[in-house]
Amino acid sequence: MFDKLRAILNKIDADYADIRYEIKKDVTITFNGKELTQIGSNSTDGYVVRVLNGGGMSSAVFTKETDADKAVRTAVENAQLIAKNLEKPIRLAKVEVVKDTYVPVLKEDPRKISILEKLELVRKYNDIPLAYEKIATTSITYQEVIREKYFISTEGSEIREDLVTTRVAGEITAKDGTLLENVRVRAGGSNGFSTVRNQEENFEKRTALALDLLKAEPVVGGVYNCILNQSLAGVFAHEAFGHYSEADIIETLPSMREKMRIGNKLGSDVINIIDNPTIPDQLGFYKYDDEGVKAHPTQLMKEGVLTGRLHSRRTAAEFGEPISGHCVAEDYRYAPIIRMGTIFIEPSTHSFEELLTMLGDGLYILDAKGGQTSGENFTFGAQCGYIVKNGKVDAMVRDINITGNLYRTLNDIVAVGNDLTLSKVGGCGKGQMNIRSCHGSAHILVKNVVIGGA
Amino acid sequence: MEKLLEKAKKVCDKAELYSNEYIYNPVSFKNARLHDIDSTIQSGISLRIIKEGKLGFAYTRNLANREELLQNALDSLKGGVEANYTFPLTKKIPQLNTYEPSLKKLSGREMVEECARVCDYLKSKTDGVILLTAFSYIENIRIINSEGTDISGKNTLYSIYGAIKYPGSGTGIWRVSKSKQFERMHDSIIKEMIELYTSSSKVVPPKSGKMKVLFMPNSMLALNWRISSGTSSKSIYEKISPITDKIGKKIFDEKVTIYDDPLNDTYPGARAFDDEGVACKPLTIIENGILKGFYYDLNYAEKLNAKPTGHGYRTTRWGGDSTTLKPVPTLTHMRIKPGNKSLAELVKLIDTGIIVEGALGAHSGNIPNGDYSVGISPGFYVENSEIVGRVKDAMVAGNIYETFKHVIGISDTLYPCFWGWLPAILFDNVTVATK
Repeated sequence: MFDKLRAILNKIDADYADIRYEIKKDVTITFNGKELTQIGSNSTDGYVVRVLNGGGMSSAVFTKETDADKAVRTAVENAQLIAKNLEKPIRLAKVEVVKDTYVPVLKEDPRKISILEKLELVRKYNDIPLAYEKIATTSITYQEVIREKYFISTEGSEIREDLVTTRVAGEITAKDGTLLENVRVRAGGSNGFSTVRNQEENFEKRTALALDLLKAEPVVGGVYNCILNQSLAGVFAHEAFGHYSEADIIETLPSMREKMRIGNKLGSDVINIIDNPTIPDQLGFYKYDDEGVKAHPTQLMKEGVLTGRLHSRRTAAEFGEPISGHCVAEDYRYAPIIRMGTIFIEPSTHSFEELLTMLGDGLYILDAKGGQTSGENFTFGAQCGYIVKNGKVDAMVRDINITGNLYRTLNDIVAVGNDLTLSKVGGCGKGQMNIRSCHGSAHILVKNVVIGGA
Repeated sequence: MEKLLEKAKKVCDKAELYSNEYIYNPVSFKNARLHDIDSTIQSGISLRIIKEGKLGFAYTRNLANREELLQNALDSLKGGVEANYTFPLTKKIPQLNTYEPSLKKLSGREMVEECARVCDYLKSKTDGVILLTAFSYIENIRIINSEGTDISGKNTLYSIYGAIKYPGSGTGIWRVSKSKQFERMHDSIIKEMIELYTSSSKVVPPKSGKMKVLFMPNSMLALNWRISSGTSSKSIYEKISPITDKIGKKIFDEKVTIYDDPLNDTYPGARAFDDEGVACKPLTIIENGILKGFYYDLNYAEKLNAKPTGHGYRTTRWGGDSTTLKPVPTLTHMRIKPGNKSLAELVKLIDTGIIVEGALGAHSGNIPNGDYSVGISPGFYVENSEIVGRVKDAMVAGNIYETFKHVIGISDTLYPCFWGWLPAILFDNVTVATK
């Protein structure tokens, strides 16, 4: 394969070029309620070429080998057009030339398990909620995505890496009269089919939660002191903070760039945030990014002070900051962009019980259910919550959405727990989907959270 | 494709091939400077086969290996996905004017010049951070099936998105224009953006409680998503729609008429047939507040003993790579009938209230139930019919089946929105929560 890619690369007249060819194999099995609505395996492939020429950079994506010349020509022309319109030429940070092959060690290779065995496992999980009368429907999907990547650059790098991602995820819908409640269920990871085995208890628990929500009262909108569980705090770390640690997001926002200057104190003393794609066996693991750069753990915040940032080669040169290896594509249909790998709020020493005592009266809110940010403002749904009275968890409440301002919330974090959990299923859509986007946290105590009630 | 269809017909009862080829050329400006020019040339073919009432599905990028594609589809038959429908024989389709050949010649340089023109103007009138993306998109779709259908369509789309973001915040005013061919962004749109931006530069603390709320077209996604969830045949079949038994009943204010308008080719993206070859036609969903009907693809029409309405599209809520997706019921050309008030007149009707210019978290919350709870980003606070400033840290929440009973007025213009062209709507009695 590298010979074929080199032949295309050799035809490109530019200062720098790279090509990534990928074969993507996926298996999808979906149940909607009792019914199996999708099952199949597919194999697709395609190419992404990137060109740096005269200080302009451009990419072209193509799926037919016969389109290679046209794609290369377009990329070179567009790079020149960009170069003509830029005041400052684009440079790429220097990186080590890498020749390596990395194939992950899996606990059960999903390719060796028949699709019928996978089907039976998903059916078994799907049947768990459906055994209950008040469960109206389910939507449960098994998804397996294998990216076999070949990366080659004019600098001499040649990298072959496989990414194997498996998951069982979906929604359980409970219904009572006209009231409907959805609960998300998820399992999966990057190190083999074993990550989706033995999930019966998980499905039982999520079913029980959906049924309990039917009996819960809607939360009363207002301002509360809250404990966020690991999933919700992880989504905060990712959505509200993490995206502004991505250099390409703030690069062209001058005031954001000013606010996010390394050394600025942005959060309370108790908060430490890191992005580390190199932690083995986690959903967010990878060895090299899609620019052929080795992934580095990157401390983003230490004791509330901004200490680092996630970069591509282009932004690392632009910001004059160290390269981090965070430029990742969804698959062969996209040029890479800066993505978080495994971002989390680092654990501290407090037990959950201690946090409850510190909270006194307020809300304990759990599990993200959709989230979005716009600048420094964010809105997240929570799966459910509990009223906390005098440090004791009391009645369940539903229909919780929180909204807030990133910087105010970072300063309103009062305490961090000792119980780090990382997410098992990812889905960050920043123009392209990143199914390995991994985030986490320990429980955190936050004051003055705006809750929108129904 | 014909060879593959012949092969497929030999080993199963029914077969269908869907092919999609497109060229997508985006240009983007960030902070009023050219940032990216990229290009995608992509093709794909997907195969559906039916054998003994079971469905097989597979797709590929190239027809390099027909046997592998057919084998993948045959393998997926083993799962036993039910398919009791048949593929349609569609011979006559409406002739639509969806393709403007001039778009093929539109160069990156011309898009760069247009973006630069809009950028310079917005920059000269505001202190905001300017973002722009223009793109050309040319698509060819062809569907052939074992019943004898062989139809194809070509679409062109030119779109430009412009945003003025408030300094120090990622939020701002944005507008999108869509057309079949290259068009300069209209001055009226640019002026509206500048006016809204200028009148909202001051941040004010709003009151909370129930009040009048104007959903602008950009925030209508929070509401129309729930409408399309409630009226989808998939939700009806799965018994998760709260309006299953409400056909013929008044569920919304009588000012509200909602329909699907796929054949109107004055808008870009009109379709003569859906992604499974069913001929498209207009469909009324809600007329003067009365629920008229649901929308169906082949699969759910068969399950619910109804006629397919031509709403089987290979997509997800966020769009998607059509080749890799099976058709699902989708309301792709949604319109809400415009009212008789200009935006300015609607604002005049607000004594105290909020204008929701953009909604954060439209996809969060209990969508099937019709509940919404969205961050206002950005939004404006109105007192005595005047915008007094921009609100921060506030949310609006409610349930569409309640909210749409309290319509005060609907704007006289439709705007391009995600999944359709929609007006701005002023509602009464919507809950606003603030810090």
